[in-house]
Amino acid sequence: MRFSDTVVGAAFILLAAIMIWLTFSFPAFPGQKYGPSLFPRILGAGIILCSLLMILRERRLADKRPWLALADWVGQPRKLASFALMLAAMIFYIFASEPLGFIPCAFLIQIVLFLWFGVRPVTALIVAAAMTLLVYWFFGRMMLVPLPRGILDSVL
Amino acid sequence: MHAIWTAFGLVFDIQVLTVILGSAIFGMFVGAMPGLTATMATALLVPVTFFMAPVPALGAIVTATAMAIFAGDIPAAMLRMPGTPASAAYADESYEMTKKGQLDLAMGVNLVFSVLGGIFGVAVLILMAPALAEVAINFSSYEYFWLACLGLTCAVFIGTGDAVKGLLSLFIGLAIGCIGIDPAAGQQRFTFGIVDLLSGIDFVPTLIGMFAVSELLRGAATFEKGGTTIQQHVGNMFAGLGDVWRKYWKNFFRGSILGTAIGALPGAGADIAAWVSYAVSKKLSKEPEKFGTGHIEGIVDSTSANNSALGGAWIPALVFGIPGDSITAVVIGVLYMKGMNPGPSVFTQTPELIYAVFIIFILANLLMFPLGWAAIKSAKQILRVPRNILLPVILIFCLVGSFAMTNSLYGVVLMVGMGVFGWFLEEHGIPVAPLILGLVLGTMLEQNFMTSMIKSDGSFLAFVERPIAGVLGVATLATWALMIWKLLPFGRRNDGVMTAGDTSPP
Repeated sequence: MRFSDTVVGAAFILLAAIMIWLTFSFPAFPGQKYGPSLFPRILGAGIILCSLLMILRERRLADKRPWLALADWVGQPRKLASFALMLAAMIFYIFASEPLGFIPCAFLIQIVLFLWFGVRPVTALIVAAAMTLLVYWFFGRMMLVPLPRGILDSVL
Repeated sequence: MHAIWTAFGLVFDIQVLTVILGSAIFGMFVGAMPGLTATMATALLVPVTFFMAPVPALGAIVTATAMAIFAGDIPAAMLRMPGTPASAAYADESYEMTKKGQLDLAMGVNLVFSVLGGIFGVAVLILMAPALAEVAINFSSYEYFWLACLGLTCAVFIGTGDAVKGLLSLFIGLAIGCIGIDPAAGQQRFTFGIVDLLSGIDFVPTLIGMFAVSELLRGAATFEKGGTTIQQHVGNMFAGLGDVWRKYWKNFFRGSILGTAIGALPGAGADIAAWVSYAVSKKLSKEPEKFGTGHIEGIVDSTSANNSALGGAWIPALVFGIPGDSITAVVIGVLYMKGMNPGPSVFTQTPELIYAVFIIFILANLLMFPLGWAAIKSAKQILRVPRNILLPVILIFCLVGSFAMTNSLYGVVLMVGMGVFGWFLEEHGIPVAPLILGLVLGTMLEQNFMTSMIKSDGSFLAFVERPIAGVLGVATLATWALMIWKLLPFGRRNDGVMTAGDTSPP
């Protein structure tokens, strides 16, 4: 997936403009000429300048680029689904790790992804269980990271 | 002298040595897997090092990266797939050697010259860094401001294929660094009342997102079934190495000197060192027509160069706190996390820490020899680990690693957000390395800039009045002028525009 430089440049100009606009709400300190708004404004100007250069450069090209060019893999449903699944796994973790707990979540994510990517079921089961416990032991027990316990709260 | 003995005591501790050995094996594995880079190894290591004392933390990163840069040579020669971008420059050349039946020699040369190149880089680091630190101790905010500017400019100019997009990425990184409490006045900026944002955008989840999550997304989208199998058998790697050394020892020194120098330049790391030294080797060779047909000469140059670049990159990182490449950017982030501000004062206040880094560096390069030998011998088994198992496992490590940084889901949310953003940027040919450099250096740059502005009361003359500041300032302004002249699109068409993902130098 690739937008043309013009689209990307325009988006960054908008973001930089919002950033500069936000700096005007920063308080000024009496007797202090240079406040916390100076540096972000310079950076905002920099982003706008670079984006303008990008747009200008692309506008001068002889062959016009399309607004949006799709990568080859977008046309292949299986690869598109792989991409979506990878992203979905992360979002699933964000929402489910508190209620379900780390162990069920990590196990589920691995099993689903393994099977989707064509790992044999037995291997998938063994690796998912082993890696989940290993990571839990290392981070949860050795490093004392408070990984969410979730539904296993009474057991752990 | 006392500090050196303390340093030995710090390093030769059973716990530290175990960490070094563990991260060495980890680095070998990550480096040897095509698609997993040395930077990714560092990104995945940082959450673990967070819980360690400074010496083992630095030791883990130093060792893992040194191993990864070497291990990238293994699949390059066997499968024509560079394990890390640093081996890309000579992947074709070493694969041609394999086709000619010279895999043993190629592997032997890669291993031995990687070790020697690495040691060369460390030697320069040990000789140069303390001397430079004595000069740097007198630097004021003006000098640091110019140094940071010059470093970041170089990073954009040398380190990326498309300077406009590199610069854009740098500004975005610096802008992200503005989120949180500003370093001069203590004012909240862009926090939108979110408590998590008060301490700024957390560096480690961003790093994991940009370097690992984006890679996972790309990996999932381009996943092909079917693993890689290697038929080649590796025999005696050390036969014929003596002849190579006698014939090409000059190439070794040239590659190492070039590699260390390029590594020390901010923004350019091991991969660029390998590309440049390979090109130089071809240009100065007596038999340039043999290059590309499985000729060992260019490999000697570039395999020495990419390992020596690692040591070189630590020179500006330790002395000025300005990273030489994306790996040392991570190191500087780790140092800040540990409450140690990198810079010349570290050399006087905690010299034992500096010596400990030196010792670990030497140790890591010596360890590379037996471990590298073992990795080459067991390459068949390592490369058999399929990507379909690796991708989900790495995802779990990313999730836990970023959670561990904040002990809350904020780290995970940040990682996913930055991962998607990083993936988006790379898809559009905008490199993420300058962004990370900007994020790491943002606070330091702004602090020195604001201090200088307030001290000089807005007069730009004060920025160049001190002699070293003047030289640095002129150098920076000259680089900027050159850059603007090259960037302005007037009168030229289709120049400097590169296609997506094509951010590596030709």
